[in-house]
Amino acid sequence: MKIRVIKAYIYKELTELVRSRFIIMVFLLPSMILLLFGNGIRMEVSGARTLIVDHDRSPISYRLISKFEHSKYFNTQILPISEAEALGRIKQARTDVVIIIPESFEKRLLHGQTTQIGVFADAAFPSRGITMETYVKGVILDAASEFGHNQANGSITINQRTLFNQAMRDEDAIVPGLIGLVLLVAPAILAALLIVKEKERGTIFNFYASPLSKSEFLAAKLIPAFLLHSLNIFVVFLWAVYVFDVPFRGSFFLYWAASEIYLMISISIGMLISVITRTQIVAVVFTIIITIIPGFMYSGIIMPISSMSGMSQIEAHIFPVMYYNHIVYDVFLIGEGLESAKTLRYLLILLFYAIVLLSLGRLFLRKELK
Amino acid sequence: MNRIFWAIVGKELLAFIRSWQLVLVVLYSFTVNVYISGSGIEMKPRNVAVGYVDDTGGGLSQKILTRLHAPEFLPPQRFGSQKELSRAIFDKEIIVGIVFDADFEKKWRQGQKTQINILLDATAASQAYTTLGYLQNIIFDITSPDIPVEIASHKLFNQNADNHTFMALTELLSIITMITVILTAVVFVREKEQGTWDIMLLMPVDPKLIILAKSFSQVLIVMVGIVISLGFIVMGIFSVPFNGSFVAFALLSFFYVWASAGIGLFIAAVARDIMQVAQLSIVVMMPLIFLSGAWTPIHAMHPVLQTISLVSPLRYYIEGTESIFYRGSGWIDLFPYFTGVIAVGGLMYWIGFRKIGRLF
Amino acid sequence: MDTLKIDRVSVRYHQHTAIRDASFSARAGEIIGFIGADGAGKSSLMHAIAGVGAFDGSIRFHNTLYRSPAEAEPIKSMTALMPQGIGLVLYDMLTVQEHLNFFADIRNINKDASFIAYQQRLLQMAGLEKFTDRRAGNLSGGMMQKLSLICTLLHRPKLLILDEPTTGVDPLSRIELWDILDQIRTQEGTIILVSTAYMQEAARMDRLLLFDEGEIIALGSTEELIDSVRPMTYVLSQQTDGITTRDATYSIKPLDFAHTEPTLEALFFVNALKKGRSLPPITLSTHHEDYVRDSVIMEARGLTKRFDGFIANDCVDIRLKRGEILGLLGANGAGKTTFIKMLLGLHPIDGGELELLGRLIQNTSDRQTLKASIGYVSQHFALYNDMTVRENLLYFAAMRSIPFEKAVDKTLLYATELGFDIYLDELPLNLPLGINQRFSLAAALLHDPVVLFLDEPTSGVDAIARAQFWQLLIALKEKWGISILITTHYMSEAEFCDRIVLLRDGKKVADDTLEELYALHPNAVNFEDIFLEYYR
Repeated sequence: MKIRVIKAYIYKELTELVRSRFIIMVFLLPSMILLLFGNGIRMEVSGARTLIVDHDRSPISYRLISKFEHSKYFNTQILPISEAEALGRIKQARTDVVIIIPESFEKRLLHGQTTQIGVFADAAFPSRGITMETYVKGVILDAASEFGHNQANGSITINQRTLFNQAMRDEDAIVPGLIGLVLLVAPAILAALLIVKEKERGTIFNFYASPLSKSEFLAAKLIPAFLLHSLNIFVVFLWAVYVFDVPFRGSFFLYWAASEIYLMISISIGMLISVITRTQIVAVVFTIIITIIPGFMYSGIIMPISSMSGMSQIEAHIFPVMYYNHIVYDVFLIGEGLESAKTLRYLLILLFYAIVLLSLGRLFLRKELK
Repeated sequence: MNRIFWAIVGKELLAFIRSWQLVLVVLYSFTVNVYISGSGIEMKPRNVAVGYVDDTGGGLSQKILTRLHAPEFLPPQRFGSQKELSRAIFDKEIIVGIVFDADFEKKWRQGQKTQINILLDATAASQAYTTLGYLQNIIFDITSPDIPVEIASHKLFNQNADNHTFMALTELLSIITMITVILTAVVFVREKEQGTWDIMLLMPVDPKLIILAKSFSQVLIVMVGIVISLGFIVMGIFSVPFNGSFVAFALLSFFYVWASAGIGLFIAAVARDIMQVAQLSIVVMMPLIFLSGAWTPIHAMHPVLQTISLVSPLRYYIEGTESIFYRGSGWIDLFPYFTGVIAVGGLMYWIGFRKIGRLF
Repeated sequence: MDTLKIDRVSVRYHQHTAIRDASFSARAGEIIGFIGADGAGKSSLMHAIAGVGAFDGSIRFHNTLYRSPAEAEPIKSMTALMPQGIGLVLYDMLTVQEHLNFFADIRNINKDASFIAYQQRLLQMAGLEKFTDRRAGNLSGGMMQKLSLICTLLHRPKLLILDEPTTGVDPLSRIELWDILDQIRTQEGTIILVSTAYMQEAARMDRLLLFDEGEIIALGSTEELIDSVRPMTYVLSQQTDGITTRDATYSIKPLDFAHTEPTLEALFFVNALKKGRSLPPITLSTHHEDYVRDSVIMEARGLTKRFDGFIANDCVDIRLKRGEILGLLGANGAGKTTFIKMLLGLHPIDGGELELLGRLIQNTSDRQTLKASIGYVSQHFALYNDMTVRENLLYFAAMRSIPFEKAVDKTLLYATELGFDIYLDELPLNLPLGINQRFSLAAALLHDPVVLFLDEPTSGVDAIARAQFWQLLIALKEKWGISILITTHYMSEAEFCDRIVLLRDGKKVADDTLEELYALHPNAVNFEDIFLEYYR
């Protein structure tokens, strides 16, 4: 290894990145994704726009309505309109849930006759539809049990203990997963551009015609990307802990080490793309498409890998995001660290990925004109 | 006039087709990529791994457990102690842990208050929420079977709350945005880079016409992509329901793709080379897509983000498309979406015309 | 013993053979010139020798024998390659000094006092010592070429491969470049392989290799090569059998005329004759309506252009008359391109007045009506690389609202008249520069313009193509009465111009006919001498 040559390339890359203002992008992109997603994604449904049509207007229906009004999950509105009109409002996306309380609701209830409450939830956004439906049912059943008959048996309450995320905060659930996404996408884009840019411009001749070996060239190209994004490991950590107030329970060293290894993987993915594509534009589009979608899907943000079935389960195991995210969630929310055999195993798998991908890049890179 | 327009369009299409790598990437985005997004993610609790510790000796606890069945839950696994259960949750093998205390059933039979301890892995928040709701309903059902209230519940527009179709459609809309913005920006910047833009400016043709024709060629490419994606993937494989007017969707898409092309034009006006196009596109598109409601409903966002999202044409497009596909809304109800898309698009072209394509 | 030995080297791209069975050898300190038409295989052979492209056959340099780029690795520390294309190996964002540092570092050069002195000397010779802080992206084309060259020289290579290093470089800089090369080869014993389109340069080489259609067809010193064509060179005559250029007639059949002293260009013409190729005669049909000769087509009064920091054009007055060829000459960065871009409206005018075709330019709408009368060929022949020549031409015709049938006819007509009809269905990227140049000109002529602005249309174009190009321009002037404003770095081409304007640092320093300029500078042998007078 010619350390000096590599240093020269690194200095050159950094100068170019600064002068072309691409450096802004290097630091803006991860923070932007983190802040936007972190603030933007809400798994919990709160303030669902709920329209209650009360045909009964009895004390009991009022009590039921007040249950909704006092819940933070619903943003209630009571209108004296017909069922058809109410449904029309859902159709226009002006309301999310419609609850219809039938006439003589109280009377039937007091007589012990079964009575039916109509619930309509907008399921155009499916997960939200389900959640809203479940909440509404919960409130109604809860209220109903109060004014229902006395029971012979005792009552059961649910003593819910959420591990790792006691407050059930969305931030805690999402932000660590996002770290896995940004540290995949941003370094990959940077690395993808670094080599293909020289190919398109013609400066790749400097490499072809010089005594630089392929490994040295790759090192020279990848180290700047690696160093710059290493800073981002700390930046995103600060965002997570200080802006999103995500607890950090594990070892910082583990977080850092795993992130650096993961960074090597994302940079190698970018490099591989850079090696096979001919133009910058193809490289960028391709990188975005093959990193963002799986990065998000297999991150565990949206659904736990254990719940995936068939192909998705396999794909998730092929894509490195899953392994890294396991470690990140561990260091932030759990803090088991290397005491857990699984964490250690995943760390080794990441290392394996990094080595394989780097070798592939070395294999595919050509040091001659095509 | 007309001929010039079509000559430019034809030339751009030819250039696109000759760049086979780009054709492949675009085709991949519209097909395989949409398919992967649609098939992979499931928002409903599905195959939720449940573990339990039961010291009661069966009866009520088993009655509750048998209610946790497929497809939502995997068969509950029994653990010897709470410690073992916690360990499994740490390793993400179990998402919901249920602990029945030894006196659980006895207390209940005696009419006392009793409790079920539930351990949730809240790092999978959305699953945890819904699972909790399920459990609550199950317990209500078992403990108070005689509540005289029935809930007639309807999930409108997507009865099975099928998430695959939704994800596939959402991904398609994001891809439309991304591909249109980048393709259009590149078409202009490549001419700038190669110096052909100067030549074009010297042609006795109104630069506006050139800009419109070039944008139109990219709009055409994307429209073809939309048709392929809709036909083969979204409706072919996922059979997304289609309740509204196809003409309305085609028209809304057409206007939307124009608006995105406008954003591409705007980027091209600012960028000097392809590298900058790449940067700007990402910086502009990320918020555009994230603020559109594709991932999380607009009114669940931070109020500041909600306001910002008003300038994202994708917001109108997604809401409009959902309305057409799922809600089957009529033309009048779609009016706001058309207005939003056209307004944003118009603004972009106004800026583009002024910034690019002027002689001195 | 020969230091470099090339043995039966062939390079193939797909099914097309770029160079076939090339063999030659070179001794230390030798400069070998590669000359030949564009696309004759010079670059391919250079890439093979530099070990950057795959090839068949074998090459030996010192004691290293290599048959593939991978085997060539050991020699790369001793070699340097400057590929064809302006500023190809430079990074736009880096300054001149940073380039030097970068190339010194990747070649692992010890930055001791002697290196610093050497580097300083290179900078001085390249005339870049004042611009060490300027970014490569802001250098003029010629300055970029010089910077690329000194970057390849930093590690004192033993084998220097230069692919058209002087294309687009002004005469002054070319002289400096050659001084550098001469010094390095005597001091270091470097073998220099250099391709060039300037025949004056070719005359300075120790030996020349003449390339044609993928083969080396002649090898020898300048004198030997010139001797070989002497029997075929005759004084200017109206002979139809051979090829007649501006100064001589060439024929392989004996003619009844006196012989004259051939130049190196003669090689090309004689070779063309041997291969049974003749220059397609320029058969422009006279078709223009009457026009007033000497009416003013373009008048610039005090035209000024400032870029942040420096003045590119400082109060330039130029007048172009109907049916006149005006040569705009100057060193790299003298402001020629900027001036043309101002005329066209691609740069805003910062001061002065411009009148085009009798109309004072004040706003964009003044431009709009003039577009139909102006033709422009830019420095880089801006053509669409993803469309064939035919498609390009039809596209430009459509832009000019020329009816389709007429456009098809015209495309064919121009292609035949300008001699590129066999290339109509090729992509521009795969074509020699000379062909691209002719077809850019055809594109600029489609709409029968009254005036042509040509920015270095002959840069990097081979000798025959250039000769033809000028025949064509003169025909255009004479038969169609077209006015032409042209910039060039080939001083010999100044001789074709009716009037010459010399720019230096954005100011006009001379504006006269060729005869008067020669009269003013009686010691000048050729125009290059006159040019240099203004710059010394």
